[in-house]
Formats: sequence, structure tokens, C-alpha cells
Amino acid sequence: MILSVGAFVRVGILLLVAVVLELSALSQLTVFGGHADLVVLVVAAVAYYGGSIAGCSAGFAAGMLIDLLIGTTMGASSLVLTAIGYGVGRYREVRDPSHGLMPVAVGTIATACWVVAFAAVALMLDIGARVSPLVLRDMIITVLLNALLALPVFTGCRKLLRPSLAVDPLELRRRRRPPREAGPLGLRGMEI
Amino acid sequence: MYDRKVVRRRRAALAVFVILSIAILTAYFGESGGGFFHTLQRGTQEAVAPIETGASRALKPVRDFFGWAGDTIDAKDQNADLKKEVQQLRSELAKAQTELRDADQLDGLASLHEENYFPQSTAPVTARVIARSATVWYSTLKIDKGSDDGLRENQPVIAAGGLIGKLTSVTGGTAEVRLITDGQSGVSAQVFPAGVTGVVRPEVGNPKDLLLEHVESDRRVTENTLVITSGFKSSRTESLFPRGIPIGRVTKVDLDELETYQRVHVKPFADLQRIDIVQVLTRRGVAQQAASAGGPGG
Repeated sequence: MILSVGAFVRVGILLLVAVVLELSALSQLTVFGGHADLVVLVVAAVAYYGGSIAGCSAGFAAGMLIDLLIGTTMGASSLVLTAIGYGVGRYREVRDPSHGLMPVAVGTIATACWVVAFAAVALMLDIGARVSPLVLRDMIITVLLNALLALPVFTGCRKLLRPSLAVDPLELRRRRRPPREAGPLGLRGMEI
Repeated sequence: MYDRKVVRRRRAALAVFVILSIAILTAYFGESGGGFFHTLQRGTQEAVAPIETGASRALKPVRDFFGWAGDTIDAKDQNADLKKEVQQLRSELAKAQTELRDADQLDGLASLHEENYFPQSTAPVTARVIARSATVWYSTLKIDKGSDDGLRENQPVIAAGGLIGKLTSVTGGTAEVRLITDGQSGVSAQVFPAGVTGVVRPEVGNPKDLLLEHVESDRRVTENTLVITSGFKSSRTESLFPRGIPIGRVTKVDLDELETYQRVHVKPFADLQRIDIVQVLTRRGVAQQAASAGGPGG
């Protein structure tokens, strides 16, 4: 990601909208007892398109926002989301994935890591949360719902962040078309 | 390819954010409720509250829509559960009502035996009705006791209230009852306590009205008097029904065209349309001397 004021503003707005949407609407839309978690998807999307530094920065900021607005123990969410943002960003940098459905896998795994890691941190800090079968069910539902939401959320984030992206995975995929084997002789063997 | 500067920057960023998170976490736990981070939390919440309120209002239709969809799905499940529950409650209610009706009828039979004019030592056999005649004439019933239980043809049958008929055919485990409302039925009866005698015949097709026929007009029968079986005996013949079984109450008295006989309308005590439990009097019994006038069941 190209570090610029525009990039900061875009990511900031994205995170604020995600947190407010999460708190005002999504957390109240329960499906079989669980609900989707938009914030972790947005952090994963920023990390996926922007890389590890952008990812861990977005994770830290989103975590701080959540802790500040919900009133939970400050630092817990930001610690977990920082790790998730960094992990997704590193995966993107190392593996350089370009498959069109990769956001679904990334969003699902990121959400699973988020719910499990946050539960672990909550247990370690003895915040008062208990892992019961009901919590486990809600975790699974959240992961499944996020898997459904991952593709549109990643697409939306990509469109918003595109002006600030150094490398767009979708463009990479376009560039990786097979070389021409027909047509004018001069164009054969070229990736156009 | 491998830019050490980028790697250092990346690791530094991760380390900074992790350390910062842990530091904030530690500080948050360490400080009191009025500390910096707690105050910051409250301030942020107050500052962002209008945005959250606005967003919450703006997104209310979306929430309502999803809530409606969720409620509809839940309502379908609830509907299925409630249908099952209603089915179960209905069957329980039907069972309870049947038991209550049986109890009422048994109570009626028990109180019938306690009447002072009812014949004693009749050795009643209690049976349940298992079939009714399919016609509207209320002519026959089938009961679940038969010759194995000591039942024989022509034995009188009573239900809560009074006489309902006699046995016409008996098998090992079942018996058929011809009701007093059947066209072929005739019961020798007398008005109690006046002693006027006659024959109770059915008003066919109307189970709520019987006719006491052949009652001479010189001994006037009054309304609301009791009609019981007369149980007459002569040297050549004898009534199938022992004396003293209540049949019904006089509702109306007409004179025939020649004004020689009275046509006495009798309303039977037994509800012939709703009989579930009956008793067959397997012994003729001994008639009691009536102490006073009065009727069962009012």
C-alpha cells in the first residue's frame, strides 16, 4: 500500500464505518443466535490488499475503536486484530494469491482465528467470559456468516482502497493470462 | 526481492503495535475507574454516541427486515411445536372429558340403586357401549359384556337415570340392547305413586318422548309424576322388567279421540343419545315398598 494521507483517510473511514455498522446493526441481526463480524473482515481485507504493515496498523486501530466504543478491556481486541492483520498481510506478501475466491478462504480463516484468539485472550485475562457450548455455536455461526460476507466485503474494500494500492491482486491475475498462441505473429507468446 | 529495510519496518510495526496493545492492556487493568484509559473510553463513547444513534436509526429498517425474516422462521418452528402441543392437549382433554362423562354416568347408576323404589338384589353387571345403531331411531346398542359374564336375553338394561331397554341377543363377549325407543319395544309401567298402569311405547324417532298408552281416562294422570316399571305378574305371563325401575317423568297428558284412554307423554330419565356405560340386571330382584313419591334426577 502506498502510504499517503489519502490511504490513511480511506482506511480510517473504512474502519469507522465497519465498527459503527457492526455495533449499530450487525450485532443485532442474529441468525440462529450468532451474528456476522464485519470488523475482522475489513481488517483482513485491508491486510490482504495492503500488506502486513497496513494490516497490523488497521488491526490495531480497529481493535482500539472496538474497545473504546464497546467499553471492553482496552488492548485485548487490538492485540488480537493486530496479529490477524499481520498474518493475513504476510500471507498475501509471501504467497501472492490471485484466485478470485481467495477472499472467502482468507475471510473465513481470519474470522475463525479472531473468535478463537479473542476467546483465549478473554480466558487468560479472566475477563469473565466462559466458553460454553452456546459460545462455541455462536463462534461457528459467526465464521459461517463471515464466509458468506467475505467476497462482497473484500470487493468493496478493494474498490475503496484501489487508488492507494501498490499492487492489486486482481490486476495481477489479469496479467497472468496465458500467452497468446494465435493471432498476429508479432503478438504470439506475449501476455496481453 | 529481499529488502532488509522493508523487513525491519514490518517487524518494527508489528512489535510496536503488539507492545502498545500489551502496555494499554496492562495499564487498563492497573488503573482505577477514573484513570486515563477509562476516561478516554467514556469520552469516546460520548463523542461517538450521536453517530451510533444516527446509524442505529438509519439501519432500523434493515434490522427490522432481518428481524421479521428471523421471526418468520422462528414462528414456523413455533407453529409446528404448538400444533403438536395442541394435538396432545386435545387428546388429553378428550380423555379427561370421556372420563368425566363416564364418572357422571357411573354416579347416576350408583344413585339409581339407592332410590327407595329401585328393586334390590338385581346383581347388576356393568358394561360399556361399544356400538350404536346407525339409524336415527335410537333402536339398539351393543355392549362389551356377554354370556361369559352371565348375561342372558331379555334381561333389563339400565343407564344413569333409569331403564333404557332389554337384551335381545347375547354372544360370548357382546350383547345387543333393544332400547325402549325402538318401535318393537313395550314396557309395562305405572305412574308412581298413583298406581295407574299402562304400556310405555316409543314415539319412534324421538328419543326424548315416550308414550304411556292404555291408561284409562277415569284416573287422571298429572304432569311431573314419575313413571316406573310395574313388573306385573299373572298366572300366565310375567313382565320382563322387575317393578320399580324408573323410566321417566310425565310431561303432557292428552285424551284420545273417544276420550276413553289418556295418552301420557313421558320424558325418559336416561339420555338415550349419550349412553356410554350401562348395567344389565342379571337377576330379577326384589321390589321395595315405596316410602314416598319422588323421582330420580329431578
